[in-house]
Amino acid sequence: MDGRGIRIEGLKKRYGRGDTAVDALKGVDMEVGQGEVVGLVGPSGSGKSTLLKCLGAVIEPTAGRMILGDETIYDDGWKVADLRALRRDRIGFIFQAPYLIPFLDVTDNVALLPMLAGRPNPEARRMAIELLAALEVEHRARAMPSQLSGGEQQRVAIARGLVNRPPVILADEPTAPLDSERALAVIRILNDMARQFETAIIVVTHDEKIIPTFKRIYHIRDGVTYEEAGEGRDIA
Amino acid sequence: MISLAGRDIMHSLGKFVFTGMGLGLLIGITLSMAGIYRGLVDDGKALLDNSGADLWVVQQDTLGPYAESSSIYDDVWRSIRGLPGVARAANATYFTMQVRQGERDVRAMVAGIAAGAPGTPGWPPYLVAGRQITRGHYEAVADIATGFELGDRLRIRRNLYTVVGLTRRMVSSGGDPMVFIPLKDAQEAQFLKDNDAIRQQRQRTAENPAFNRPQVPGLLEAVIASQSTNPYVNAVLVQIEPGHEAEEVAQAIRRWKRLTVHTRSQMEEILVGKMIATSARQIFMFLVILSLVSAAIVAFIIYTLTLGKIREIAVLKLIGTRNRTIVGLIMQQAVVLGAIGFMVGKITATLVMAPIFPKYVLLQPLDSVIGFGAVMVICLLASIVAIRAALKVDPAEAIGG
Amino acid sequence: MKPFPVHKRTLVMLAGFLPLIALFVYVAVRSGALAPVPVTVARVESRPIAPALFGIGTVEARYTYRIGPTFTGRVKHLEVDVGDRVEAGQILGAMDPIDLAERIRAQEAAVQRAAAQVNEARARHDYALAQARRYQQLLEARTTSEEIVLTKENEQQAAEAGLNAARGEAARVRAELAALVAQRKNLDLVAPAAGLVTARHADPGVTIVAGQAVIELIDPAHLWVNVRFDQINARGLTADLPARIVLRSQGVEPRNGRIMRVEPLADAVTEETLAKAVFDALPEPLPPIGELAEVTVDLPPLAAGPVIPNAAIQRVDGRLGVWRLSDGDLGFTPVTLGVADLDGQVQVRDGLEVDDEISVYSARVLHSRSRVRVVEQLTGVKP
Repeated sequence: MDGRGIRIEGLKKRYGRGDTAVDALKGVDMEVGQGEVVGLVGPSGSGKSTLLKCLGAVIEPTAGRMILGDETIYDDGWKVADLRALRRDRIGFIFQAPYLIPFLDVTDNVALLPMLAGRPNPEARRMAIELLAALEVEHRARAMPSQLSGGEQQRVAIARGLVNRPPVILADEPTAPLDSERALAVIRILNDMARQFETAIIVVTHDEKIIPTFKRIYHIRDGVTYEEAGEGRDIA
Repeated sequence: MISLAGRDIMHSLGKFVFTGMGLGLLIGITLSMAGIYRGLVDDGKALLDNSGADLWVVQQDTLGPYAESSSIYDDVWRSIRGLPGVARAANATYFTMQVRQGERDVRAMVAGIAAGAPGTPGWPPYLVAGRQITRGHYEAVADIATGFELGDRLRIRRNLYTVVGLTRRMVSSGGDPMVFIPLKDAQEAQFLKDNDAIRQQRQRTAENPAFNRPQVPGLLEAVIASQSTNPYVNAVLVQIEPGHEAEEVAQAIRRWKRLTVHTRSQMEEILVGKMIATSARQIFMFLVILSLVSAAIVAFIIYTLTLGKIREIAVLKLIGTRNRTIVGLIMQQAVVLGAIGFMVGKITATLVMAPIFPKYVLLQPLDSVIGFGAVMVICLLASIVAIRAALKVDPAEAIGG
Repeated sequence: MKPFPVHKRTLVMLAGFLPLIALFVYVAVRSGALAPVPVTVARVESRPIAPALFGIGTVEARYTYRIGPTFTGRVKHLEVDVGDRVEAGQILGAMDPIDLAERIRAQEAAVQRAAAQVNEARARHDYALAQARRYQQLLEARTTSEEIVLTKENEQQAAEAGLNAARGEAARVRAELAALVAQRKNLDLVAPAAGLVTARHADPGVTIVAGQAVIELIDPAHLWVNVRFDQINARGLTADLPARIVLRSQGVEPRNGRIMRVEPLADAVTEETLAKAVFDALPEPLPPIGELAEVTVDLPPLAAGPVIPNAAIQRVDGRLGVWRLSDGDLGFTPVTLGVADLDGQVQVRDGLEVDDEISVYSARVLHSRSRVRVVEQLTGVKP
C-alpha cells in the first residue's frame, strides 16, 4: 500500500456494557487498495451500518485496527482527536441521495470541503472545477442544485466525495433509486474515478443490478465479514 | 471560506424578508409601546417646559395647579413680584373642558395667560403658525392637535374666540391639547355659572330679607355684584432672576406669603411620579409582555428555520464541518433576521404608528439603540435553542443508519 | 462559466435590502431628536406700524335719572312703562297722598285760629295803648298819680308783646300749610329731562322709602361705552383718539366712534384703565344698556422702523429675543421691543437690523445647538 487505500483488521464494536452489551461487529477484516472498487453486502441487522459508521469515522470501534493509507487511525481503543477533521480530510462520502446543500451552487457545494479544510476560496474553487470537469458537469458549475437533473446531482455528489482526494470513499447505496442503465453508469464513473484519483471505493449496496460488476465483494453477516470474488463484469 | 448563513439567506430571500417583516411589525409595536411610555412622561414634562416657569405658587397644601385644584386671589402675584429673586410673576388658570367649534368639540386644556408680551410665564414659548395673542380678550392660540385652524371661531362657555396662532406639543399631562386664552376671559370661563344658575342665584339672593332691605336701597345690587365677581386664579407662575436659587426663593414665598410653592423638580415628581404613574406602569407592563412575546416568537422562528435545515446540517457535520461553523450559520441568520426585523420595526414605528396613534409617541434615539441591542440579545438567546437542536443532530443520519 | 445567476441573486438582494436600509437610515436621521428642526424664516422689514389698543366695555347711558318720591309713601299710579319716551316736565306718575288733604285742612284751621288770636291780641293792645295815653294826659292835668300811669304803660307794652307773639305763630302755621301744599305738588313724579324709561322698580300700591327710585330714565341721545383696557396694554390711550366699536349683538361689523375721556381713576383691583368711548352716530335701534362691546383704539401710526412678527419672540435665559439665522447658523439675539400692533407686528428698537433673517415658526423648541431646516411652511399647518 503506497499511501492510499484502507485496511482494517479485527475491528470490533460493542454497544452498551455488562449484561445488555451487544456485539455489533465481532472481528471485521477488510483491505481495499487504491483504484479498487469493492462491494459491501449484507442484510439489515448484519452490522453493516455499524461498519459503515466505523469506516466513516462517525463512531469509534471498540477494538481492532484501521489503517488509512499509511497511517494507523485506530489501534485497539485509541481515541481519535478529531473525528470531524478525519472525515473531512481523509474520507469521502457519497450518499443514496445526492444530499447537496441547496443554498450553495454546484461549485461551492464541491468547494465547501477544501474550504472547511482551510484552503483559500479561489484554490478550493479551482479544485472543485477540476473535479467537475473530470465528471463532465463543469458546464453546470454556477447552477443551483435544484436546477440539476438527478444524474447531474449524483455526479456533483461524487465530485464532492472526491474533492479532498481522500484515500477512501464510502458510497452508501449510491444507485438505489436509479434504473439499471444509470446505476451502471454511476458504477462506471466510480471505477473511473477510483483509477484516476487513486482512491479506494467501498460501495455499500444490495442492488442486484450492480453486484456483478465488482471484482471483490465483502459479505457481512452477524458482525463478521467474508470476502469473495465477484464476477467483475465489464461495464465499459 | 464562504458565509453559509449569507448563502442560505440569499437562497431563500423571500422567506427571510417576509419573516423579517412579520417580526418587524411585532418589534415596531414594541418600539411604539416604548415610544408611548416615553410620550406619556414627555407629556408631563412638556407641560412644565411650556409654562416657562421656575416656580409654581399655589393654594396652601395643594399639589396644584395641574394635579389638584388650587385657587388663590388674583392680586397675590403683586406681592410675590416684590420678593427678591423674582424676575417675573404672572397669574395663570388651567382647566380642562370641551372646546366647541361649529359642530364638533374637542377635549382641551384651556390655559388663561396673563396679559403682556411673548415671553411672559404661561405663554406658549413658540408657534408653528399665526401670531401670539395681542388683544386682551377673545383671542386664542390653539395646539395643532386640536385640529383647529387659523381664523376658526371657538366657543368656550358663552364667548367666541378667534384662533390667531397655532402651537405644537402644548399638551396637558394627560395629553389633551392646550388652548391659550387671555387670563380675564379664562377666569370668567372657569368660574362662570351658566345663565340659569346665575338667574336662580340672583333670585335666591333677592328673596333673602337680609340682603333685600327696603330701607337700604342699592344693597341687593351690591350683593349680587359681589357674587358675580371672580378674583381667583389657579396659580402664579414665577421666573427666577439669574443668580438666585429656586429653592431659596420658594422658601421665602412659603414663609412670608403662606402659600405652597413647587419647584420644577417637585412639579416633575408630582406629574410624572404621581399623576401618570399608574398609566405609565401599565404601558411599561405591556412593554415587558410584548418584549417577552417577541422574544418567544423570534426563538420559535429561528428554531423552525433550523429544523428545516436539519438534513443539511447532518450532511455538513458528516463531511466534517466544525460546530463553530454550524453555530455561526444559525446565529448569523438570527442576527440578520433581527436586523431586518429591527429596521422594519423602526420604520413602522416612525412612519406608521407614531403618526396615527392617538397618543403622543416619542421615539428616542437612545431607546432605538437599546431596542436594537435588546433585539440582538434576544435573537442570540433565541438561537440557543436552535443551536442545541442542531448540535444534537447525528452526522450518521446522513448515511443510511 | 456563467457568472450571471449569482449576479442576479446579488441584484435581487440589493434590490430588496438597499431600499430597506435607505429608508431605515432616513427614518433614523430624519425623525426624532436627531432630525433637524423645521423652521420658517422671515426677514426683518422696515415699515410703519399702526399700533392699536383693544378693550372691552359695556354700553352705558351718560345721563341716568332715578326718579322717586322725597318722602316715604305709597305709589298711587304710574303713567309710563319701560321703553316709553318722555318729555321734560312730563308727569310720570304720582304718590298716594293718603292723609295729606286732612292734614292741610287741619293746618288751614290752625291758620284761621292763629289769625283770630292775632286779632284778639291786637284788640288788647289797642285798648292798652288808649288807656296809657289817657292816663298820661290825666297826669299832665295832675288828676292822677304817677304810679297809675306807669302801670298803664306797662300793660300797654305787655299787650304789644302778645300781639307780636300771635303774629309769629300765625306766620308759622301759614308756613306749615305752605309746606303741606308743596308736598302735595311733589306727589307727582316729573321727568327732569327728555329721555327713555329704562326701569320701573315699583308698581301702584307699593310703599317706597324716601330716596328709592321708582322710575329710571336715561338720555338715549347720549350713550357711551365704558371701556376697560388692561393697564399693561394701555400705553398711549388719550381722549379724542378714533375708536372702532363692535357690539356683541352686531357680530364683527364695527362702528366708528372716539374716546371721549380717559378716567382719572383706574381700577386697582382688576388692573385696568377705564375710558369712555362714544359713537359717532348712534346705532339704530339703540343697543341695550349693558351690552358688551369691543373697542379698538387706533393710535397714531409710527414712522417706519424694523418690524418683526411677535411669533418670533421668545424668552431664553430670562432675556427676550429672537433666533437669528446667519449663514445657516442659529444664534439667539436679545432685542429691545417697541410698540406692537394688534396684528402681531412688533417694532424692534434695538438688537436687529432690517433684512436680518430670523426664525418665526419652529416645530420644536430651538437651542443654540439645534440643527435647522428652513421650510416654507411647517407640516400639519394648513395654508
